[in-house]
Amino acid sequence: MNAPGVGTGRYIGQRVRRKEDPRLLTGRGQFVDDIVVPGMLHAAFTRSPIARGRIVSIDTAIARDVPGVHAVYTQADLAHFKVDMINFYLVSPAVETTPLANGRVAYVGEPVALVIADSRHIAEDAASLVEVQYADETPVVSIAQARSGAPVHPATTSNISAQMGEEEPDEELEALLRDAPHLITHQVVHQRISQSPMETRGVLAVRDGAEELTLYITCQSPHLVARWVSLALGLRQTAIRVIAKDVGGGFGLKNHPWKEEVSVILAVLAFGRPLKWIEDRYENLIGANQSREAEMVLRTAFDAEGRVLASHGDYSCNNGAYPQLEECNIAVHMFLWAAYKMPRYGFLTRGWYTNTVGLAAYRGPWAMESLIRETALDVAARRIGIDPIEIRRRNLVRLQDQPTLSCMSIPIEDITPAECLEQLVQYFDVAAFRKEQAAARKAGRYLGLGIATYIEPTGAAGSIVTMTGELAQVRIEPTGRVTATMSTHSQGHGTATTMAQIIADRLGVPYEDVTVFEGDSSRGGFSPGAAGSRQGVVAGGAAIKASELLADKVRLLAGHLLETSPDLVRIENGMAHVAGKPELSRSLRSIAEIAYGEPDRLPPGLEPGLEAQYRYQPPPMTLASAANACVVEVDAETGMVKILRWISAEDCGTAINPAVVEGQIAGGLAQAIGMVLLEEMTFDAAGNPTAATYKDYLLPAISDIPDFEFVHCSTPSKSVGGMRGVGEGGAIIGAPTLVNAIADALAPFGEIPLRLPLTPTRLLSLIEGRDLAAKVEHPQPEEASAATAAADTPATVPAPVDQPVPAARAPEPAAPSGPQIDGDWKMVLSTPVGPQAMVGHFETDGTALSGYLKSEQGSMGFTGIVEGNRLKFDLKVDKPMKITLKYDITIEGARLTGKVKMGIFGTAKLVGERG
Amino acid sequence: MKPAPFDYLAPVTVEEACAALAEAGGGATLLAGGQTLLPLLNLRMSQPFIVIDLNRVAALKGISRGQACTRIGAMTRQCEAIASAELARALPVLVKAVKHVGHHQTRNRGTVGGSIALGEPAAELPATAVALDAIIEIVSVRGKRETAAGEFYLGPYMTTLEPDELVTAIRFPDWPQGHITLFREVAQRPGDFALVGLVGALVVEDGKVARAGLAWFGMGPTPIRARSAERMLLGQPLEAIEANAVAERAVADTAPFDDHHASAEYRRTVGARIFARTLREAFPAKEAA
Repeated sequence: MNAPGVGTGRYIGQRVRRKEDPRLLTGRGQFVDDIVVPGMLHAAFTRSPIARGRIVSIDTAIARDVPGVHAVYTQADLAHFKVDMINFYLVSPAVETTPLANGRVAYVGEPVALVIADSRHIAEDAASLVEVQYADETPVVSIAQARSGAPVHPATTSNISAQMGEEEPDEELEALLRDAPHLITHQVVHQRISQSPMETRGVLAVRDGAEELTLYITCQSPHLVARWVSLALGLRQTAIRVIAKDVGGGFGLKNHPWKEEVSVILAVLAFGRPLKWIEDRYENLIGANQSREAEMVLRTAFDAEGRVLASHGDYSCNNGAYPQLEECNIAVHMFLWAAYKMPRYGFLTRGWYTNTVGLAAYRGPWAMESLIRETALDVAARRIGIDPIEIRRRNLVRLQDQPTLSCMSIPIEDITPAECLEQLVQYFDVAAFRKEQAAARKAGRYLGLGIATYIEPTGAAGSIVTMTGELAQVRIEPTGRVTATMSTHSQGHGTATTMAQIIADRLGVPYEDVTVFEGDSSRGGFSPGAAGSRQGVVAGGAAIKASELLADKVRLLAGHLLETSPDLVRIENGMAHVAGKPELSRSLRSIAEIAYGEPDRLPPGLEPGLEAQYRYQPPPMTLASAANACVVEVDAETGMVKILRWISAEDCGTAINPAVVEGQIAGGLAQAIGMVLLEEMTFDAAGNPTAATYKDYLLPAISDIPDFEFVHCSTPSKSVGGMRGVGEGGAIIGAPTLVNAIADALAPFGEIPLRLPLTPTRLLSLIEGRDLAAKVEHPQPEEASAATAAADTPATVPAPVDQPVPAARAPEPAAPSGPQIDGDWKMVLSTPVGPQAMVGHFETDGTALSGYLKSEQGSMGFTGIVEGNRLKFDLKVDKPMKITLKYDITIEGARLTGKVKMGIFGTAKLVGERG
Repeated sequence: MKPAPFDYLAPVTVEEACAALAEAGGGATLLAGGQTLLPLLNLRMSQPFIVIDLNRVAALKGISRGQACTRIGAMTRQCEAIASAELARALPVLVKAVKHVGHHQTRNRGTVGGSIALGEPAAELPATAVALDAIIEIVSVRGKRETAAGEFYLGPYMTTLEPDELVTAIRFPDWPQGHITLFREVAQRPGDFALVGLVGALVVEDGKVARAGLAWFGMGPTPIRARSAERMLLGQPLEAIEANAVAERAVADTAPFDDHHASAEYRRTVGARIFARTLREAFPAKEAA
C-alpha cells in the first residue's frame, strides 16, 4: 500500500528517477579525491601507537630528509594559529583539544605529526620515519575503568565529561518502582560503532591569495563547515569557500571538521601550496571519531495488566578522549517514554572520557532510548504473560489522546506509533505466524517475531544555534528552464531529486526542466544540511514557499501580458494557460524572455526577472513515527540468525518520493542489522583498536539484508507540505525490532543478556546454558600439538576491558635481584603481522645482561644492560629489511612486559611469563 | 594505505621466477591473485624488497589429468576451477569448497595455488587439500620437490615452503565415482573466512566405509585432519555409524582458538554439531541413543 502522499500533485508523491543516479552510477560523481588542482601536495599523519602517555620527544629530521618531502609539522609548528575546536553547537571543548597532539597522546591513532610530500606514498614513507618517544601511562579504556581510573585529561578531576539527572535516589520514585506488581530491570550494553561512510573523510585545501581559502571537503553541509572553520580558526567567513559536490555518506561523522582536517587547513595556511588528505580505511577505522558505545540500566514498574507506572534510567556513554560533543546524551531520556503514557520517569546520565578515539554523532545518536524501551517492553510482556503487541496498545499515546505532555514535558502532538502499529498488524498476519512458530518449534526450529514502535524528533529548527531554517532560491531562467539553489546538502539523500520534484510540482513545470544546485557555500544560504532528519521537512517547506512566490509572479506577469486577471492564469507543464482561452497559452520561456529582456512590458512596480527566494522556519520540532516487524530464524546448533521478513510501517507524513523514503529507511535498517549482529569496534586492554580492518569490523553486506516491505502511513505534519523527517528512523527502530525477534525465537532458553552485537558465540551461550566465551581446558590433541603454541598465545585472546584499573599507579616494585630475571621466559611479541611467540633467555651479571631469543626462525644472541627490573638490549635483523629492534623489558615477579621499537614498523608490545 | 617502495618483476617462465626468488634471498614476495597480498602491502604489514608477479607465467595455469589424479596449476583462477567440467566430475567437493572462497569478484583474481600456499587456517582450500590427500608440487633453483598437503602446514600462514621456493601445482588423487562428499562451514557473512568448517570425502564399498578423508578449517593453527574420526568410520557399515559419537571424536583432534569473531569453545561446540549434521545428511547415520 504505497500511498502517494498527501497533497498529491503531479510530482510530489511520485517515484521519479533520481537526477543524481546517472552521474553516480557511471562513475562520474565528483568526490574530494576526484579534485586535482595545480601544485597540489599530499598529506599523511604520524599517529600515536599508544593510548595514553607523554610525548618525550619528536624528531622529524629523518622524515624531512626523505626526497619529495616538503615539510613536517608538529603541534609546536602550528601552535601560533589559535584554534578553538568547537562542537556542533559552536561551543568550545571542555578540555584542551589541539589539531595535533600537544605534549600528550590520549588515544591510539591520535595525529602527532603531519607530513607534506609530493605524493601520498612518499608522505606515508616519511610519516613512519618521524621518531616519537613516549612515556607510556596506563590507559582508561572502558566505561568501568573510567569510573575509577585516573583522569584522561590531567586538568580534570574525574573522567565525567558531562552529567545530568539525580545522583541521589528519588525516594518517591523508588517507592513506586518497589511497590509495583511488576518491576522489570533491563540492561543494554551497546558496543562502539564505526560510522564507516563509503567515502572516508578527506579535504583538499587551497589558499587562493592572502585571505582566501577554498576547501573541497566531504561534509554534511558546506555552509556549516564554512561557519565552523571561520569561528574555529578566527578567519573571516567571506574568505572561505567550501565545496562538496558529491559525498559518499556522512551519518554524523562529517558534521564538522576535526583534528585531521583542521591540521591540513593549518598546514596550508603555513606552507602555502594546495594540500590534499584523503583518509584511508585504516585511518578511518582507528582515527575517525566513532559512535554509540553506551551502557544503560532501565527499571520500569508495571501494574498487573502491564500498564507502565514509573521508570528510572541510568545511562553512561563512552565519549573517548576528544569527543565532537562532550555530552551525556540527554535526548535518550527526553524521548524514552515520550510516546507512552508514562506517569513518572527519573534518570541519571553521564558521559565519560576514556583513552579511545572520541565520539561523534551517528544516525539516531540517542537511539538507546528506543532500543532499551522496546526490548524492556518485550521482556515485561513475557514476564507478565501478555502479548507484545497488546502491551504496546495499552501504553502508547494514541491520536485521540493528543495533544499532551510527556513525562519529560515534551509537547506531544500528532504522533502515530499506535496507528502505525495497527496498520502493521493489518498487513502482517500475526496469528498465522504464531501458528507457524509453534509448529516449527516442535520440529526443533526457532522462529521469532519482533515488534517495535518509536517516535523521533525531526526537522528541528530554531532551538539549537546551528539548527536553522532552510533557504530556497528558485528562478525561471530566460530559457524557460528552472534552476534552484538550495541550502540543502546530499550525502546520498537525493535532495537534488526531491527538491526538484517539489518545485516542478508547485511551479507547474516538467520535472526534467528543474535543476537543483547545492554543495557550495558560495551559493544559497546557511543551513546545517543533513543533521537530525530535517531536510525534507525544512527545505521541502522552503521549496514549496519559494515556488509558490514565483508562480504568483508568473501569474501576475502573464495576466498583465494577456490582459486578464492573474487569478485566471494557471501554470501547467511549463505553459501559462488562461481558463477557457487556449489561444492565449504562453510558454514560460516566452514570459521569461519578456521578464528579463523587456522590462518596459512589465506591470508598473514589478521587479524584472523571474526569481523568488524563501527561508522557511518550520515548527520547532516535527515528530515522525513508525512500527516495524521482523521475523527471524535462529539456528540452535550454531547461534546464527537468519532474517526471513522485515516490514516497516512508517509515518513520514507526505512522502515526496516513496522510493527515496524507502531508500532512507532501508539504509538505516541495514545499519541497525549491523549493530545487532555484526559490527563491533573493540579495544584491547592497552587501548589498541582490534577491529582495524573490514576483515574484523564486519559491516552487513547485501547478502545480510532482507528485502524490506514498506507500509506508508502518511499523516501530514503541521509543517508546510506536511513532511516528517525519515533519515534516521531505520537506524533507530531497526535494532529493537531485530533484538525482539531474536529474543522471541530464543524465549524457550531464557532472556538474552543484551550485550551487542548478538554474536553467534553469545546466542549459542544462551541456547547451551553455558558461557562459550569462557576458557575451557581441553587435553591437547596429538595431531595438532606441533603448531598450537602460536595460536594459543595470550595475545590472541582479547583481554577483558571491564577490569577497573587502579586510580593511582601502583608503587614500583623493589628491583629484583639476579635470580628473578635469569633463566627462560615465554614471550609473545605483538607484531604488525600478528603475535609471534618466542623464548627469551636472560643472564645477568650486575648491570650487564646477556642471553638469546629463540623462535621458530632460529636463535639470536645479544648483550645489553640491566637497570633494576628493566632490561634493555638491541637486536639487528635483516628480514624483511635491515632494522635494529630495540627491546625495553620490565620484569615484575613472574610477569614480563615491554616494548620493542622496530624502526619503520613502529613499536610492538611484548608480554611474557616464566617459561 | 600506500605500499612501501618495492621493485617489481614479472617473469614469464617458472625458471625466471625461481631465479628471481633465489637472487632476492628471502626479500621477495610472490604475487598470485593478490587478494591477500595487496591489502597487506597497502597496510604496510608486508614490506618486501621485490614483488615477483606470477601472472605472466603461462606454465602455472590450467587444469589437467595426470596418472590417477587431477593436476591444478597454481595460477589457476578460483573462478576457472568453479567452471571446470573436469573438476566437477572428478572432485565435486573441491568445487564446492572453491565456491566458498571469498566472493564472486575476488574469485576472478584469486588463485587456487595462492590460497593453498598462503596457509590461512580458516580457509577452505588448504583443508580440502589436506582432506583429499593432495600433493603439492614445489620448485626452486635447487630443484623440484613434492610434499603431502598434510605435511605442508606448520602454523597460521606458515608452511614448509622455503623463501626461494614456489608452489607450481596441486595434484588431487582420484576418488572413485560416486564417493560421498562432505562440506559445511559456518561464517557470519557469506564469503567470510569460516568460524568453523569441515570438508572431506568418503568411499563406501559393500555398504561399509572403505576410505575416508576429513579435515577441519578454522579449528586450529592449521587445517586439521580428523584422523581419529576417520579411524572410527573405516570399516563401519553406514547404518551403524553414530554421527554424534564420530563428531565428538573429530572435535577431539582439533585445537581451536579464541579470536575476534568466536571463542574456541564456540568452535568446538558448533564443530561437533555441524560434523554430525553433515554426516547425517550425507547418509542415514544412526541417531545416538
